Amino acid sequence: MSGKDRIEIFPSRMAQTIMKARLKGAQTGRNLLKKKSDALTLRFRQILKKIIETKMLMGEVMREAAFSLAEAKFTAGDFSTTVIQNVNKAQVKIRAKKDNVAGVTLPVFEHYQEGTDSYELTGLARGGEQLAKLKRNYAKAVELLVELASLQSSSPGLNVPLPISSQSWMRESEKSSIG
Amino acid sequence: MLEGAELYFNVDHGYLEGLVRGCKAGLLTERDYVNLVQCETLEDLKIHLQTTDYGNFLANQTNPLTVSKIDTEMRKKLCSEFEYFRNHSLEPLSTFFTYMTCSYMIDNVILLMNGALQKKSVKEILVKCHPLGRFTEMEAVNIAETPSDLFNAVLIETPLAPFFQDCMSENILDELNIELLRNKLYKSYLEAFYKFCKNHGDVTAEIMCPILEFEADRRAFIITLNSFGTELSKEDRETLFPTCGKLHPEGLRLLAQAEDFEQMKRVAEHYGVYKPLFEAVGDGSGGKTLEDVFYEHEVQMNVLAFNRQFHYGVFYAYTKLKEQEMRNIVWIAECISQRHRTKINNYIPIL
Repeated sequence: MSGKDRIEIFPSRMAQTIMKARLKGAQTGRNLLKKKSDALTLRFRQILKKIIETKMLMGEVMREAAFSLAEAKFTAGDFSTTVIQNVNKAQVKIRAKKDNVAGVTLPVFEHYQEGTDSYELTGLARGGEQLAKLKRNYAKAVELLVELASLQSSSPGLNVPLPISSQSWMRESEKSSIG
Repeated sequence: MLEGAELYFNVDHGYLEGLVRGCKAGLLTERDYVNLVQCETLEDLKIHLQTTDYGNFLANQTNPLTVSKIDTEMRKKLCSEFEYFRNHSLEPLSTFFTYMTCSYMIDNVILLMNGALQKKSVKEILVKCHPLGRFTEMEAVNIAETPSDLFNAVLIETPLAPFFQDCMSENILDELNIELLRNKLYKSYLEAFYKFCKNHGDVTAEIMCPILEFEADRRAFIITLNSFGTELSKEDRETLFPTCGKLHPEGLRLLAQAEDFEQMKRVAEHYGVYKPLFEAVGDGSGGKTLEDVFYEHEVQMNVLAFNRQFHYGVFYAYTKLKEQEMRNIVWIAECISQRHRTKINNYIPIL
Protein backbone atom coordinates (compact mmCIF):
# COMPACT_ATOMS: atom_id res chain seq x y z
CA MET A 1 0.00 0.00 0.00
CA SER A 2 1.69 3.15 -1.18
CA GLY A 3 1.27 6.33 0.76
CA LYS A 4 0.15 8.68 -2.03
CA ASP A 5 -2.77 6.51 -3.16
CA ARG A 6 -4.37 6.53 0.24
CA ILE A 7 -7.95 7.71 0.20
CA GLU A 8 -9.00 9.71 3.27
CA ILE A 9 -12.40 8.49 4.49
CA PHE A 10 -14.34 8.65 7.65
CA PRO A 11 -14.67 5.09 9.05
CA SER A 12 -18.42 4.57 8.95
CA ARG A 13 -20.65 1.79 7.64
CA MET A 14 -21.98 3.96 4.83
CA ALA A 15 -18.50 4.89 3.77
CA GLN A 16 -17.72 1.15 3.54
CA THR A 17 -20.79 0.51 1.36
CA ILE A 18 -19.88 3.42 -0.87
CA MET A 19 -16.30 2.19 -1.14
CA LYS A 20 -17.48 -1.34 -2.03
CA ALA A 21 -19.68 0.07 -4.80
CA ARG A 22 -16.77 2.12 -6.10
CA LEU A 23 -14.57 -0.98 -6.07
CA LYS A 24 -17.17 -2.91 -8.04
CA GLY A 25 -17.44 -0.09 -10.56
CA ALA A 26 -13.67 0.04 -10.96
CA GLN A 27 -13.46 -3.73 -11.47
CA THR A 28 -16.18 -3.67 -14.14
CA GLY A 29 -14.44 -0.77 -15.88
CA ARG A 30 -11.17 -2.68 -15.82
CA ASN A 31 -12.75 -5.79 -17.31
CA LEU A 32 -14.36 -3.80 -20.09
CA LEU A 33 -11.08 -2.13 -20.92
CA LYS A 34 -9.38 -5.53 -20.98
CA LYS A 35 -11.98 -6.77 -23.42
CA LYS A 36 -11.50 -3.71 -25.60
CA SER A 37 -7.74 -4.08 -25.57
CA ASP A 38 -8.01 -7.78 -26.40
CA ALA A 39 -10.39 -7.15 -29.28
CA LEU A 40 -8.16 -4.44 -30.68
CA THR A 41 -5.06 -6.61 -30.39
CA LEU A 42 -6.81 -9.48 -32.12
CA ARG A 43 -7.96 -7.24 -34.92
CA PHE A 44 -4.49 -5.72 -35.24
CA ARG A 45 -2.86 -9.13 -35.52
CA GLN A 46 -5.40 -10.22 -38.12
CA ILE A 47 -4.74 -7.11 -40.17
CA LEU A 48 -0.96 -7.60 -40.00
CA LYS A 49 -1.29 -11.21 -41.14
CA LYS A 50 -3.52 -10.15 -44.01
CA ILE A 51 -1.07 -7.41 -44.98
CA ILE A 52 1.78 -9.87 -45.23
CA GLU A 53 -0.27 -12.33 -47.30
CA THR A 54 -1.48 -9.58 -49.62
CA LYS A 55 2.01 -8.20 -50.14
CA MET A 56 3.33 -11.62 -51.15
CA LEU A 57 0.42 -12.11 -53.53
CA MET A 58 0.97 -8.60 -54.87
CA GLY A 59 4.51 -9.48 -55.92
CA GLU A 60 3.25 -12.45 -57.94
CA VAL A 61 0.33 -10.59 -59.53
CA MET A 62 2.42 -7.58 -60.58
CA ARG A 63 5.00 -9.86 -62.15
CA GLU A 64 2.30 -11.71 -64.08
CA ALA A 65 0.73 -8.43 -65.20
CA ALA A 66 4.05 -6.98 -66.41
CA PHE A 67 4.72 -10.16 -68.36
CA SER A 68 1.31 -10.09 -70.00
CA LEU A 69 2.13 -6.53 -71.08
CA ALA A 70 5.23 -7.86 -72.83
CA GLU A 71 3.13 -10.59 -74.48
CA ALA A 72 0.57 -8.08 -75.68
CA LYS A 73 3.28 -5.84 -77.11
CA PHE A 74 4.75 -8.82 -78.97
CA THR A 75 1.49 -9.53 -80.78
CA ALA A 76 -0.17 -6.16 -81.05
CA GLY A 77 2.79 -3.86 -81.54
CA ASP A 78 3.12 -0.66 -79.55
CA PHE A 79 -0.32 0.43 -78.41
CA SER A 80 0.83 2.50 -75.43
CA THR A 81 0.35 5.88 -77.14
CA THR A 82 -3.16 4.97 -78.27
CA VAL A 83 -4.12 3.96 -74.75
CA ILE A 84 -2.64 7.06 -73.11
CA GLN A 85 -4.27 9.37 -75.66
CA ASN A 86 -7.74 8.03 -75.05
CA VAL A 87 -7.89 8.36 -71.28
CA ASN A 88 -10.97 10.20 -70.03
CA LYS A 89 -13.00 8.86 -67.09
CA ALA A 90 -11.92 6.32 -64.51
CA GLN A 91 -13.60 2.98 -64.79
CA VAL A 92 -12.65 1.55 -61.39
CA LYS A 93 -13.46 3.79 -58.44
CA ILE A 94 -13.11 3.52 -54.66
CA ARG A 95 -15.62 4.11 -51.90
CA ALA A 96 -14.52 4.69 -48.31
CA LYS A 97 -16.64 3.04 -45.66
CA LYS A 98 -16.40 2.95 -41.87
CA ASP A 99 -16.03 -0.22 -39.88
CA ASN A 100 -16.57 -0.38 -36.11
CA VAL A 101 -14.33 -2.56 -33.94
CA ALA A 102 -14.92 -2.33 -30.19
CA GLY A 103 -15.82 1.29 -30.44
CA VAL A 104 -12.99 2.32 -32.77
CA THR A 105 -14.01 3.35 -36.30
CA LEU A 106 -11.66 2.17 -39.03
CA PRO A 107 -11.76 3.21 -42.70
CA VAL A 108 -12.28 0.45 -45.25
CA PHE A 109 -11.91 0.92 -49.02
CA GLU A 110 -14.16 -0.82 -51.44
CA HIS A 111 -13.72 -0.71 -55.20
CA TYR A 112 -16.53 -0.66 -57.74
CA GLN A 113 -16.76 -0.44 -61.50
CA GLU A 114 -18.53 2.31 -63.31
CA GLY A 115 -19.11 2.83 -66.97
CA THR A 116 -18.19 0.71 -69.96
CA ASP A 117 -14.78 -0.23 -71.19
CA SER A 118 -13.72 2.54 -73.57
CA TYR A 119 -10.89 0.38 -74.88
CA GLU A 120 -13.16 -2.40 -76.05
CA LEU A 121 -12.17 -2.11 -79.69
CA THR A 122 -8.45 -1.47 -79.21
CA GLY A 123 -6.48 -4.26 -80.78
CA LEU A 124 -9.39 -5.23 -82.98
CA ALA A 125 -7.11 -6.10 -85.84
CA ARG A 126 -4.14 -7.42 -83.88
CA GLY A 127 -3.60 -8.78 -80.45
CA GLY A 128 -7.13 -8.44 -79.05
CA GLU A 129 -6.87 -11.68 -77.08
CA GLN A 130 -3.61 -10.67 -75.42
CA LEU A 131 -5.01 -7.22 -74.66
CA ALA A 132 -8.04 -8.78 -72.96
CA LYS A 133 -5.75 -10.94 -70.82
CA LEU A 134 -3.66 -7.88 -70.02
CA LYS A 135 -6.72 -5.93 -68.91
CA ARG A 136 -7.80 -8.79 -66.63
CA ASN A 137 -4.36 -9.13 -65.04
CA TYR A 138 -4.03 -5.44 -64.29
CA ALA A 139 -7.61 -5.28 -62.97
CA LYS A 140 -6.65 -8.02 -60.51
CA ALA A 141 -3.55 -6.06 -59.54
CA VAL A 142 -5.61 -2.91 -58.94
CA GLU A 143 -8.09 -4.82 -56.75
CA LEU A 144 -5.25 -6.19 -54.65
CA LEU A 145 -3.76 -2.72 -54.34
CA VAL A 146 -7.08 -1.35 -53.07
CA GLU A 147 -7.28 -4.12 -50.48
CA LEU A 148 -3.72 -3.50 -49.37
CA ALA A 149 -4.36 0.25 -49.08
CA SER A 150 -7.45 -0.45 -47.01
CA LEU A 151 -5.53 -2.72 -44.63
CA GLN A 152 -2.59 -0.38 -44.31
CA SER A 153 -4.76 2.62 -43.56
CA SER A 154 -6.63 0.80 -40.80
CA SER A 155 -3.51 -0.40 -38.99
CA PRO A 156 -2.36 3.10 -37.86
CA GLY A 157 -5.99 3.69 -36.98
CA LEU A 158 -5.61 0.89 -34.46
CA ASN A 159 -2.23 1.97 -33.20
CA VAL A 160 -3.62 4.86 -31.20
CA PRO A 161 -6.54 3.36 -29.23
CA LEU A 162 -4.70 0.09 -28.58
CA PRO A 163 -1.93 1.35 -26.27
CA ILE A 164 -4.28 3.86 -24.69
CA SER A 165 -6.76 1.23 -23.68
CA SER A 166 -4.00 -1.08 -22.45
CA GLN A 167 -2.48 1.75 -20.39
CA SER A 168 -5.83 2.64 -18.91
CA TRP A 169 -6.37 -1.01 -18.18
CA MET A 170 -3.05 -1.22 -16.34
CA ARG A 171 -3.84 1.92 -14.34
CA GLU A 172 -7.23 0.52 -13.44
CA SER A 173 -5.75 -2.82 -12.37
CA GLU A 174 -3.30 -0.97 -10.11
CA LYS A 175 -6.11 1.01 -8.60
CA SER A 176 -8.38 -1.95 -8.03
CA SER A 177 -5.59 -4.06 -6.57
CA ILE A 178 -5.05 -1.36 -3.98
CA GLY A 179 -8.70 -0.84 -3.11
CA MET B 1 2.80 -4.27 -117.68
CA LEU B 2 6.18 -5.29 -119.00
CA GLU B 3 6.45 -9.00 -119.60
CA GLY B 4 9.89 -10.49 -119.38
CA ALA B 5 10.94 -8.50 -116.35
CA GLU B 6 14.32 -10.16 -116.38
CA LEU B 7 15.21 -8.06 -119.41
CA TYR B 8 14.38 -4.67 -117.97
CA PHE B 9 14.31 -4.93 -114.21
CA ASN B 10 17.99 -4.53 -113.46
CA VAL B 11 18.25 -1.29 -115.41
CA ASP B 12 16.25 0.63 -112.84
CA HIS B 13 16.12 -1.55 -109.77
CA GLY B 14 19.04 -3.96 -109.91
CA TYR B 15 21.24 -2.07 -107.45
CA LEU B 16 18.51 -1.87 -104.86
CA GLU B 17 17.54 -5.52 -105.25
CA GLY B 18 21.16 -6.52 -104.71
CA LEU B 19 21.33 -4.29 -101.65
CA VAL B 20 18.18 -5.67 -100.09
CA ARG B 21 19.34 -9.23 -100.65
CA GLY B 22 22.56 -8.35 -98.88
CA CYS B 23 20.57 -6.93 -95.96
CA LYS B 24 18.42 -10.04 -95.87
CA ALA B 25 21.55 -12.15 -95.47
CA GLY B 26 22.19 -10.23 -92.27
CA LEU B 27 18.97 -11.36 -90.58
CA LEU B 28 19.46 -13.32 -87.36
CA THR B 29 19.64 -17.09 -87.78
CA GLU B 30 18.51 -19.88 -85.50
CA ARG B 31 21.97 -20.04 -83.93
CA ASP B 32 21.89 -16.33 -83.09
CA TYR B 33 18.52 -16.77 -81.41
CA VAL B 34 19.82 -19.71 -79.36
CA ASN B 35 22.68 -17.50 -78.17
CA LEU B 36 20.34 -14.64 -77.32
CA VAL B 37 17.99 -16.89 -75.37
CA GLN B 38 20.86 -18.00 -73.17
CA CYS B 39 21.76 -14.47 -72.09
CA GLU B 40 21.34 -13.64 -68.43
CA THR B 41 21.24 -9.86 -68.62
CA LEU B 42 20.56 -7.17 -71.19
CA GLU B 43 24.27 -6.39 -71.31
CA ASP B 44 24.94 -9.95 -72.50
CA LEU B 45 22.26 -9.45 -75.14
CA LYS B 46 23.99 -6.28 -76.33
CA ILE B 47 27.32 -8.11 -76.59
CA HIS B 48 25.75 -10.90 -78.62
CA LEU B 49 24.07 -8.44 -80.94
CA GLN B 50 27.40 -6.79 -81.61
CA THR B 51 28.56 -9.94 -83.41
CA THR B 52 25.58 -9.81 -85.77
CA ASP B 53 24.68 -7.32 -88.46
CA TYR B 54 23.47 -4.94 -85.78
CA GLY B 55 27.01 -4.13 -84.79
CA ASN B 56 27.52 -1.31 -82.34
CA PHE B 57 24.07 0.19 -82.63
CA LEU B 58 23.80 0.39 -78.84
CA ALA B 59 27.27 1.81 -78.35
CA ASN B 60 26.12 5.31 -77.47
CA GLN B 61 23.53 4.30 -74.94
CA THR B 62 24.10 5.28 -71.32
CA ASN B 63 23.45 2.85 -68.49
CA PRO B 64 21.11 1.35 -67.57
CA LEU B 65 20.11 -0.43 -70.73
CA THR B 66 16.34 -0.84 -71.06
CA VAL B 67 14.19 -2.76 -73.49
CA SER B 68 12.65 0.41 -74.89
CA LYS B 69 16.11 1.80 -75.75
CA ILE B 70 16.91 -1.38 -77.66
CA ASP B 71 13.58 -1.12 -79.48
CA THR B 72 14.11 2.53 -80.44
CA GLU B 73 17.62 1.93 -81.74
CA MET B 74 16.55 -1.08 -83.83
CA ARG B 75 13.71 0.91 -85.30
CA LYS B 76 16.08 3.75 -86.18
CA LYS B 77 18.32 1.30 -87.99
CA LEU B 78 15.42 -0.17 -89.99
CA CYS B 79 14.20 3.31 -90.86
CA SER B 80 17.57 4.47 -92.14
CA GLU B 81 17.81 1.36 -94.37
CA PHE B 82 14.26 1.90 -95.65
CA GLU B 83 14.85 5.59 -96.34
CA TYR B 84 18.00 4.73 -98.25
CA PHE B 85 16.10 2.29 -100.47
CA ARG B 86 13.29 4.75 -100.95
CA ASN B 87 15.53 7.68 -101.83
CA HIS B 88 17.35 5.68 -104.49
CA SER B 89 14.28 4.19 -106.08
CA LEU B 90 12.70 5.01 -109.43
CA GLU B 91 9.14 4.63 -110.57
CA PRO B 92 7.20 2.39 -110.21
CA LEU B 93 9.25 1.12 -107.26
CA SER B 94 8.86 4.46 -105.49
CA THR B 95 5.08 4.20 -105.69
CA PHE B 96 5.43 0.72 -104.22
CA PHE B 97 7.44 2.17 -101.33
CA THR B 98 4.81 4.86 -100.82
CA TYR B 99 2.15 2.17 -100.56
CA MET B 100 4.26 0.39 -97.98
CA THR B 101 4.53 3.49 -95.83
CA CYS B 102 0.78 4.15 -96.00
CA SER B 103 0.02 1.64 -93.28
CA TYR B 104 2.29 3.49 -90.83
CA MET B 105 0.85 6.79 -92.01
CA ILE B 106 -2.64 5.58 -91.13
CA ASP B 107 -1.55 4.88 -87.56
CA ASN B 108 0.17 8.24 -87.30
CA VAL B 109 -2.85 10.11 -88.67
CA ILE B 110 -5.16 8.44 -86.17
CA LEU B 111 -2.78 9.38 -83.37
CA LEU B 112 -2.56 12.98 -84.56
CA MET B 113 -6.31 13.31 -85.01
CA ASN B 114 -6.90 12.05 -81.51
CA GLY B 115 -4.34 14.40 -80.08
CA ALA B 116 -5.64 17.39 -82.01
CA LEU B 117 -9.18 16.72 -80.84
CA GLN B 118 -8.00 16.58 -77.24
CA LYS B 119 -5.97 19.76 -77.69
CA LYS B 120 -2.71 18.08 -76.88
CA SER B 121 0.51 19.66 -78.04
CA VAL B 122 1.57 18.47 -81.48
CA LYS B 123 5.23 18.22 -80.49
CA GLU B 124 4.65 15.46 -77.96
CA ILE B 125 2.60 13.41 -80.35
CA LEU B 126 5.08 13.83 -83.19
CA VAL B 127 7.72 12.15 -81.07
CA LYS B 128 5.52 9.10 -80.69
CA CYS B 129 4.65 8.74 -84.38
CA HIS B 130 6.14 5.91 -86.34
CA PRO B 131 9.10 7.25 -88.31
CA LEU B 132 8.30 5.27 -91.45
CA GLY B 133 4.91 6.94 -91.65
CA ARG B 134 6.22 10.47 -91.71
CA PHE B 135 4.61 12.87 -94.15
CA THR B 136 5.22 16.55 -94.71
CA GLU B 137 1.86 17.83 -93.48
CA MET B 138 2.24 16.34 -90.04
CA GLU B 139 2.97 19.53 -88.15
CA ALA B 140 0.01 21.26 -89.71
CA VAL B 141 -2.45 19.01 -87.97
CA ASN B 142 -3.20 21.30 -85.03
CA ILE B 143 -4.75 24.02 -87.14
CA ALA B 144 -7.90 21.99 -87.58
CA GLU B 145 -10.75 22.07 -85.08
CA THR B 146 -12.82 19.10 -86.18
CA PRO B 147 -11.92 15.95 -88.10
CA SER B 148 -13.69 17.14 -91.25
CA ASP B 149 -11.67 20.37 -91.20
CA LEU B 150 -8.60 18.28 -90.70
CA PHE B 151 -9.47 16.23 -93.72
CA ASN B 152 -10.21 19.16 -95.99
CA ALA B 153 -7.21 21.18 -94.99
CA VAL B 154 -4.43 18.74 -94.34
CA LEU B 155 -5.10 15.15 -95.24
CA ILE B 156 -6.30 15.82 -98.74
CA GLU B 157 -2.67 16.41 -99.78
CA THR B 158 -1.38 13.13 -98.44
CA PRO B 159 -1.47 9.77 -100.21
CA LEU B 160 -4.17 8.78 -97.73
CA ALA B 161 -6.82 11.03 -99.27
CA PRO B 162 -8.43 8.39 -101.52
CA PHE B 163 -8.75 6.01 -98.55
CA PHE B 164 -10.63 8.60 -96.55
CA GLN B 165 -12.90 9.30 -99.47
CA ASP B 166 -13.55 5.62 -99.90
CA CYS B 167 -14.70 5.10 -96.37
CA MET B 168 -17.30 7.73 -95.91
CA SER B 169 -18.49 11.23 -96.52
CA GLU B 170 -16.74 13.84 -94.44
CA ASN B 171 -19.40 14.73 -91.94
CA ILE B 172 -19.49 11.22 -90.55
CA LEU B 173 -15.81 11.55 -89.64
CA ASP B 174 -16.78 13.45 -86.52
CA GLU B 175 -18.84 10.76 -84.85
CA LEU B 176 -16.98 7.67 -85.93
CA ASN B 177 -15.18 5.62 -83.34
CA ILE B 178 -11.46 5.98 -83.80
CA GLU B 179 -10.75 2.26 -84.00
CA LEU B 180 -13.44 1.71 -86.62
CA LEU B 181 -11.94 4.56 -88.64
CA ARG B 182 -8.50 3.02 -88.41
CA ASN B 183 -9.74 -0.35 -89.62
CA LYS B 184 -11.81 1.13 -92.45
CA LEU B 185 -8.81 3.13 -93.69
CA TYR B 186 -6.65 0.04 -93.54
CA LYS B 187 -9.22 -1.91 -95.55
CA SER B 188 -9.27 0.59 -98.41
CA TYR B 189 -5.47 0.89 -98.28
CA LEU B 190 -5.06 -2.86 -98.60
CA GLU B 191 -7.46 -3.05 -101.51
CA ALA B 192 -5.68 -0.19 -103.31
CA PHE B 193 -2.27 -1.80 -102.75
CA TYR B 194 -3.61 -5.10 -104.09
CA LYS B 195 -4.95 -3.43 -107.21
CA PHE B 196 -1.62 -1.69 -107.78
CA CYS B 197 0.32 -4.94 -107.54
CA LYS B 198 -2.15 -6.77 -109.75
CA ASN B 199 -2.02 -4.07 -112.42
CA HIS B 200 1.73 -4.11 -112.38
CA GLY B 201 1.56 -7.74 -113.37
CA ASP B 202 4.61 -9.95 -113.90
CA VAL B 203 6.53 -11.55 -111.05
CA THR B 204 5.58 -8.78 -108.61
CA ALA B 205 1.92 -9.66 -108.93
CA GLU B 206 2.71 -13.36 -108.57
CA ILE B 207 4.55 -12.78 -105.32
CA MET B 208 2.72 -9.83 -103.75
CA CYS B 209 -0.88 -10.79 -104.48
CA PRO B 210 -0.90 -14.01 -102.40
CA ILE B 211 0.84 -12.15 -99.57
CA LEU B 212 -1.75 -9.36 -99.63
CA GLU B 213 -4.62 -11.85 -99.95
CA PHE B 214 -3.38 -13.59 -96.85
CA GLU B 215 -3.11 -10.25 -95.04
CA ALA B 216 -6.71 -9.41 -95.96
CA ASP B 217 -8.06 -12.78 -94.84
CA ARG B 218 -6.00 -12.69 -91.67
CA ARG B 219 -7.48 -9.34 -90.76
CA ALA B 220 -10.97 -10.68 -91.42
CA PHE B 221 -10.40 -13.64 -89.10
CA ILE B 222 -8.78 -11.61 -86.33
CA ILE B 223 -11.40 -8.86 -86.43
CA THR B 224 -14.12 -11.51 -86.18
CA LEU B 225 -12.36 -13.23 -83.29
CA ASN B 226 -11.82 -10.03 -81.37
CA SER B 227 -15.33 -8.74 -81.89
CA PHE B 228 -17.00 -11.61 -80.04
CA GLY B 229 -18.42 -10.19 -76.85
CA THR B 230 -18.00 -6.53 -77.80
CA GLU B 231 -20.57 -4.01 -78.93
CA LEU B 232 -19.50 -4.26 -82.54
CA SER B 233 -22.55 -5.23 -84.58
CA LYS B 234 -22.38 -7.79 -87.37
CA GLU B 235 -23.03 -5.22 -90.12
CA ASP B 236 -20.27 -2.98 -88.78
CA ARG B 237 -17.99 -5.96 -88.59
CA GLU B 238 -18.62 -6.81 -92.22
CA THR B 239 -17.70 -3.29 -93.36
CA LEU B 240 -14.24 -3.74 -91.87
CA PHE B 241 -13.32 -6.86 -93.86
CA PRO B 242 -10.94 -6.19 -96.78
CA THR B 243 -12.35 -7.74 -99.94
CA CYS B 244 -9.12 -8.54 -101.74
CA GLY B 245 -8.57 -11.95 -100.19
CA LYS B 246 -9.60 -15.50 -100.90
CA LEU B 247 -12.51 -15.27 -98.50
CA HIS B 248 -14.39 -12.75 -100.64
CA PRO B 249 -17.39 -12.90 -101.04
CA GLU B 250 -18.86 -16.06 -99.50
CA GLY B 251 -16.34 -16.52 -96.73
CA LEU B 252 -16.66 -12.92 -95.59
CA ARG B 253 -20.43 -13.19 -95.46
CA LEU B 254 -20.18 -16.38 -93.39
CA LEU B 255 -17.60 -14.82 -91.10
CA ALA B 256 -19.82 -11.81 -90.49
CA GLN B 257 -22.48 -14.17 -89.15
CA ALA B 258 -20.13 -16.20 -86.98
CA GLU B 259 -20.64 -16.00 -83.25
CA ASP B 260 -17.87 -18.09 -81.77
CA PHE B 261 -14.55 -19.66 -82.55
CA GLU B 262 -16.03 -22.98 -83.69
CA GLN B 263 -18.14 -21.34 -86.37
CA MET B 264 -15.10 -19.41 -87.56
CA LYS B 265 -13.14 -22.63 -87.76
CA ARG B 266 -15.86 -24.19 -89.90
CA VAL B 267 -15.65 -21.26 -92.34
CA ALA B 268 -11.89 -21.73 -92.56
CA GLU B 269 -12.29 -25.42 -93.32
CA HIS B 270 -13.73 -24.56 -96.74
CA TYR B 271 -10.36 -23.11 -97.77
CA GLY B 272 -7.40 -25.39 -98.25
CA VAL B 273 -4.84 -22.82 -97.11
CA TYR B 274 -6.51 -21.95 -93.84
CA LYS B 275 -7.69 -25.37 -92.69
CA PRO B 276 -4.22 -26.56 -91.49
CA LEU B 277 -3.59 -23.19 -89.85
CA PHE B 278 -6.68 -23.45 -87.71
CA GLU B 279 -5.88 -27.01 -86.82
CA ALA B 280 -2.49 -25.95 -85.53
CA VAL B 281 -4.07 -23.69 -82.94
CA GLY B 282 -3.73 -25.07 -79.42
CA ASP B 283 -6.58 -24.59 -76.99
CA GLY B 284 -6.38 -22.15 -74.10
CA SER B 285 -3.05 -21.72 -72.37
CA GLY B 286 0.05 -23.54 -73.47
CA GLY B 287 -0.75 -23.99 -77.13
CA LYS B 288 -0.24 -21.52 -79.93
CA THR B 289 -2.78 -18.81 -80.42
CA LEU B 290 -4.37 -18.06 -83.79
CA GLU B 291 -2.27 -14.91 -84.07
CA ASP B 292 0.97 -16.87 -83.54
CA VAL B 293 -0.03 -19.31 -86.29
CA PHE B 294 -0.80 -16.44 -88.65
CA TYR B 295 2.52 -14.75 -87.87
CA GLU B 296 4.39 -17.96 -88.68
CA HIS B 297 2.58 -18.36 -91.99
CA GLU B 298 3.30 -14.74 -92.91
CA VAL B 299 6.99 -15.23 -92.15
CA GLN B 300 7.09 -18.35 -94.33
CA MET B 301 5.52 -16.48 -97.26
CA ASN B 302 7.94 -13.59 -96.86
CA VAL B 303 10.97 -15.87 -96.82
CA LEU B 304 9.73 -17.64 -99.97
CA ALA B 305 9.52 -14.28 -101.74
CA PHE B 306 13.30 -14.23 -101.93
CA ASN B 307 13.32 -17.33 -104.11
CA ARG B 308 12.22 -15.35 -107.17
CA GLN B 309 14.14 -12.54 -108.75
CA PHE B 310 13.19 -9.30 -110.51
CA HIS B 311 10.22 -8.26 -108.44
CA TYR B 312 9.37 -5.65 -105.80
CA GLY B 313 8.15 -8.16 -103.27
CA VAL B 314 11.67 -8.54 -101.87
CA PHE B 315 11.48 -5.05 -100.38
CA TYR B 316 8.14 -5.68 -98.75
CA ALA B 317 9.26 -9.07 -97.49
CA TYR B 318 12.51 -7.70 -96.10
CA THR B 319 10.75 -4.94 -94.16
CA LYS B 320 8.22 -7.34 -92.69
CA LEU B 321 10.88 -9.89 -91.74
CA LYS B 322 12.99 -7.20 -90.13
CA GLU B 323 10.01 -6.01 -88.10
CA GLN B 324 9.33 -9.56 -86.94
CA GLU B 325 12.97 -9.87 -85.95
CA MET B 326 12.68 -6.66 -83.93
CA ARG B 327 9.61 -8.03 -82.17
CA ASN B 328 11.46 -11.27 -81.44
CA ILE B 329 14.45 -9.46 -79.96
CA VAL B 330 12.22 -7.21 -77.83
CA TRP B 331 10.35 -10.30 -76.59
CA ILE B 332 13.55 -12.08 -75.61
CA ALA B 333 14.87 -8.89 -73.98
CA GLU B 334 11.65 -8.48 -71.95
CA CYS B 335 11.77 -12.11 -70.78
CA ILE B 336 15.37 -11.62 -69.70
CA SER B 337 14.81 -8.32 -67.93
CA GLN B 338 11.68 -9.54 -66.13
CA ARG B 339 13.36 -12.85 -65.28
CA HIS B 340 10.36 -14.73 -66.60
CA ARG B 341 12.03 -17.29 -68.79
CA THR B 342 9.31 -19.91 -69.15
CA LYS B 343 8.00 -18.54 -72.44
CA ILE B 344 11.26 -17.17 -73.79
CA ASN B 345 11.20 -19.58 -76.72
CA ASN B 346 7.89 -18.27 -78.00
CA TYR B 347 9.49 -16.00 -80.60
CA ILE B 348 8.68 -16.65 -84.25
CA PRO B 349 11.71 -18.26 -85.94
CA ILE B 350 12.56 -16.75 -89.30
CA LEU B 351 15.48 -18.48 -90.94
